[in-house]
Amino acid sequence: MSILVDKHTVALIQGITGHEGSRAASEMLHYNTPVIAGVTPGKGGQKTEHGIPVYNSVEEALRRHPTINASLIAVPPRFAADAAMEAIWNSIPLVNILTEKIPVADVSRIIALGRQQGVQVIGPSSVGIISPTQAKIGAIGASELVNRVFKKGSVGVISKSGGMTAEISRIITEAGLGQSTAIGIGGDVLLGTTFLDCARLFEKDKQTKAIVIFGEVGGSYEEELADAIAAKEITKPVIALIAGDFSHSLPQGTVLGHAGAIVSQGKGSAKSKIRSLKKAGALIATTPENIPVLLKKVL
Amino acid sequence: MNLLEHEGKALLAKYGISIPKGKLITPRTKGSPIATPAVIKSQVPVGDRGRKGGITVIHKKAEFAQAASRIWDTAIDGHIPQHLLVEEAITSTSERYISLSYDTTTRAPTLAINAKGGSGTAKASLIQLNIFIGLPDFLAREALVAAGLTPSFPLISTLQNLWQLFVSEKAILAEINPLFELKDGSFVAGDAKVVLDDHVVAPEARPYVQLGGDIAILASGGGASMINLDALMKAGGKPANYVEYSGNPKSDVVRILTRQVLSQPNLKGCWVVGGTANFTDIYETLLGFVEGLRSVKPRPTYPIVIRRDGPRQREAFAMLEKVAKEEGFNFHLYGPETPMSESATTIVKLAYQQK
Repeated sequence: MSILVDKHTVALIQGITGHEGSRAASEMLHYNTPVIAGVTPGKGGQKTEHGIPVYNSVEEALRRHPTINASLIAVPPRFAADAAMEAIWNSIPLVNILTEKIPVADVSRIIALGRQQGVQVIGPSSVGIISPTQAKIGAIGASELVNRVFKKGSVGVISKSGGMTAEISRIITEAGLGQSTAIGIGGDVLLGTTFLDCARLFEKDKQTKAIVIFGEVGGSYEEELADAIAAKEITKPVIALIAGDFSHSLPQGTVLGHAGAIVSQGKGSAKSKIRSLKKAGALIATTPENIPVLLKKVL
Repeated sequence: MNLLEHEGKALLAKYGISIPKGKLITPRTKGSPIATPAVIKSQVPVGDRGRKGGITVIHKKAEFAQAASRIWDTAIDGHIPQHLLVEEAITSTSERYISLSYDTTTRAPTLAINAKGGSGTAKASLIQLNIFIGLPDFLAREALVAAGLTPSFPLISTLQNLWQLFVSEKAILAEINPLFELKDGSFVAGDAKVVLDDHVVAPEARPYVQLGGDIAILASGGGASMINLDALMKAGGKPANYVEYSGNPKSDVVRILTRQVLSQPNLKGCWVVGGTANFTDIYETLLGFVEGLRSVKPRPTYPIVIRRDGPRQREAFAMLEKVAKEEGFNFHLYGPETPMSESATTIVKLAYQQK
């Protein structure tokens, strides 16, 4: 098993004729994930370099290719919310948003519509999702290094950071373990899918024996997971690496590497996240290399 | 982006919310620009200015010069005012608190109301909103009743006007505290705190924070940059700056950033660090680093520790070795076999051993 993407994933890419979209298409095809259609309004009727048909609308793409069950949003920030809502409106069950810098107000609309339509939205600013040997969606794991970094295994990885999704997965793989699924949930203020949403899926997944999260200062998503662990809703072992403690002396409101990484005192600080996760029973990793050491204790 | 009070109030007025009559003044302004009693308010992006000495009431015009000069000279949390706002003093029957923001627990817009306004408002009543439904009369009434207030027409329209501002400007926060209630039942905004979305107003901005230390940092990746700053501080290093570049930047972007970061005074070392990149072209970004490095005067002789992994990392390191040999830079190169945190210890050792 695995979560979110697997060998049954059939993808559409919105923005397939753009730089990010076409690169994601080749990378996904290289990993044997079928990308059977693309959408770029105004370019309907064309074919991409890989021979993938391009349509003007999601509705048309779905009509021609009813097996599509996931869409990657790789369009510029100005058009991204509209593209995501188009996919959600057409009830594609999984919508993965790669685009960064979408205004919070627009993300709020995407989330509200996703809830209404029962669509799983991952992102914005998500590097992608990979279930090693099965499928991947997004820009996660370039073909040059994907098999060195990701290996099939029993660890579920959830990260606010794309780079750290790969770094942590590589460290897990080099320690002789592997991943069931690794997910970049993005570091925006509002997230389509949170740590807890993913942890709930991992909790039900037979392949997953432990969960690793990479969290950051700002927001309340790490605390929300801690509450669920404390309430025994999440019973699989959770190992957490939380970044941004250095920022405690910076002015409140300073925004760091991700839009959601907002310096705050008290609730939302790295210290408070670590404290609540620890209290709930999660293991706290001090460095990325500390993760496999802790994993070997619980597996 | 945090707006100053007068900028926020201009937005409130644009959306039909009453604000006190007032004038913005510069240090050149002599004498009160409006009738007394008046309030003089420091225009700095900091909360709780009243308690921190940024707000004064004057009752006679003669008091203006002394009161204004004191506020001009008062830095609040390090901010020195460029402007002061002089406003008519409002006589109110009560003060309320209202705000709109996004809540990360509900992942939806949230209306907060407190029947008691003023400084240090904490326990507000919170109502989760749906961005598609907005704030129709019935919801505004419900929210006001829940906060223990009478849902009067002027109060409902003030809430709705604030909602219009919030969604139309794509703001992250729109707050009025205090919201003055006048004898005739109308409302006037005593203050305005509006935070606009950087993704709307400054999409090209890159987080850059000066930290006052002596190790220059070029960190890649939003998350990796933060975990690496943590590691550097734990290893005893003093970072000169926080900066982050990610998303496969062009070499030019890295070149300009390198020049900026390495132009800081009194550097003892430079740390270029990132995790395993998914798709960032390591050769391209490190080429940008070398180009930036060459343009820094005086020529850096301090140790430069580089830890990177990702597409074209080997080619990039071969290029760096050649550059180090031919141009004599003090490079220390590490790939994925060296943990990021170990490279933090290395730069700290090398940087502080030199002297």
